[in-house]
Amino acid sequence: MSKLVLYGMDISPPVHACLLTLRALELEFEYIEVNLVAGEQKTEEFLQKNPQHTIPLLEDDGTFIWDSHAICSYLVDKFGQSDDLYPKDLVKRAHVQQRLYFDASVLFMPLKNICGPFFYEKVTEVPQEKINNIRDGYKHLETFLGDNPYVTGDTLTIADFCCAATVSSLPAFLEIDPEIYPKITAWLARLSELPYYQESNADGAEKYISIFKDALTIV
Amino acid sequence: MSKLVLYGVDISPPVRACLLTLRALNLSYEYIEVDLFSFEHRTEEFHKKNPQQTVPVLDDNGTFIWDSHAICCYLVDKYGKNDELYPKDVLKRALVNQRLYFDASALFMPLRNISVPYFYHNVTEVPQEKLNNVKEGYKHLENFLGDNKYVNGDIMTIADFCCAATASSLPAVLKMDPVEFPKIAAWLGRLEKLPYYEEVNNVGVRKYIEMLKDKFTYV
Repeated sequence: MSKLVLYGMDISPPVHACLLTLRALELEFEYIEVNLVAGEQKTEEFLQKNPQHTIPLLEDDGTFIWDSHAICSYLVDKFGQSDDLYPKDLVKRAHVQQRLYFDASVLFMPLKNICGPFFYEKVTEVPQEKINNIRDGYKHLETFLGDNPYVTGDTLTIADFCCAATVSSLPAFLEIDPEIYPKITAWLARLSELPYYQESNADGAEKYISIFKDALTIV
Repeated sequence: MSKLVLYGVDISPPVRACLLTLRALNLSYEYIEVDLFSFEHRTEEFHKKNPQQTVPVLDDNGTFIWDSHAICCYLVDKYGKNDELYPKDVLKRALVNQRLYFDASALFMPLRNISVPYFYHNVTEVPQEKLNNVKEGYKHLENFLGDNKYVNGDIMTIADFCCAATASSLPAVLKMDPVEFPKIAAWLGRLEKLPYYEEVNNVGVRKYIEMLKDKFTYV
C-alpha cells in the first residue's frame, strides 16, 4: 500500500480539493502543513520536491506530484475502487477535464490574483477588473450547473471538488448572492452534506474568508 | 471514421495547441474560423456548442468538447496510434497533466489578462503586476525544461504543444530574452523543426504579435 503524504496549508482552496478527494476515496494519508507566508515553500528541501514551490503537493512513496487537478486525477485513476469520480469513458472524461481546466484558470487565477499580492506584498487595493473576473467565473459556473445536481451532470466527480473548493473561498472577495446564483448556492449546499466536507473544505474556507473581511478596498 | 471539426481563430494560442495535436496525430479535420471580433462566439448557435463561448471547440460527430487541454487529451486517447503524446501510465500522465494545468493557469491566464481587456475594451495601460505574472511563467517554464529536451523529459507530449503555443505568443506582451531564457529558446527552436509547426503555430504567432506589439504602456 502506498504511503501518501499531502503537503498543504489549511486555508488553501486547491489543498481542500485534494482533501475532499482523499476523503471521498477513503485513503489514508499524512498531512504536512507548509506555511507559505513564512516562505517554507522556498526552502531547498521543498524546491527539490516541487520546483514550482506551490501547494498542494502529493508524495506517493517518494514520487512527487503537484497541481491539485493533476493530484485529484491521479488519486482516482490509481486508487479509486470505481471510476465514478473521474470517468474513464473518453467523452465523459473530456467534460470533467473541461471543468477542471475551467477551475484552474477562470475560477482560481482571479482568486490568486487578489490573495497573492495581499499575502506577499500587503496590497489591499483591488482594481474592479479583478472583481469582474470573479463575477465572470460565477456566471459561467451557474450556466454549467443548469438543471444538474453536479457540475458535469448527475454524478459527483473531482470537478465538483475542485470547483467547490475554489468557489467556496471566493466570497472572500465577492459574495455569492443566492438570488443571482441560485444553482451555485444549491450545489454548494448539496456538497456540504458530504460527511467530510466541513473538515476538508468548509473549515478552511471560513478561515480564508475571515482573513479578508474588511481588509480590502475595491478601486 | 469520425468527422472532426475544430472551431477556432488562428491567432489564438489554445487553438494552435489543438492544431499541433491534430497534425501530430495525422488526423483529417475541418477547420472553421469563428470571428471573435464580430462576436460570433456570442451567438445563440455557438452558445449551444459551447456555453463558455470560447475557442477552440472540437466537434466530434456531434459531441462538443472545449478547453484546448481537454481537447488535446481526448484526441490522443481516442485516436492516437500509441500513447506517446499523452502517456497512459498513471504517474507519467500526472506529470504531463501538471504541465498542462501550468499552461492553463500560469502561462495562459497572464496573457489573457492583458490581451482581453485590450481586444474587447481597448485597455492599453498594463500594471507592472500583470507583466510580473508573465515573467513568473517564463521563469517556471525555464526551470521545468532544465536539461530536458521537452517539458516532461525526453519525449514530446501534448504538454509541449500547449505550453509552446502559449509561450511562443507571450512575446506579444513581454519580450522573451533568449539570454535570460536559453532553455525556452532552445526548446521552441526544437519544436520549430516539426514539419507542421510553421503552418499551424508560427503563422498565427506572428499575426498575434503584430496585433499587440507596441500597443501597451506599462505602468
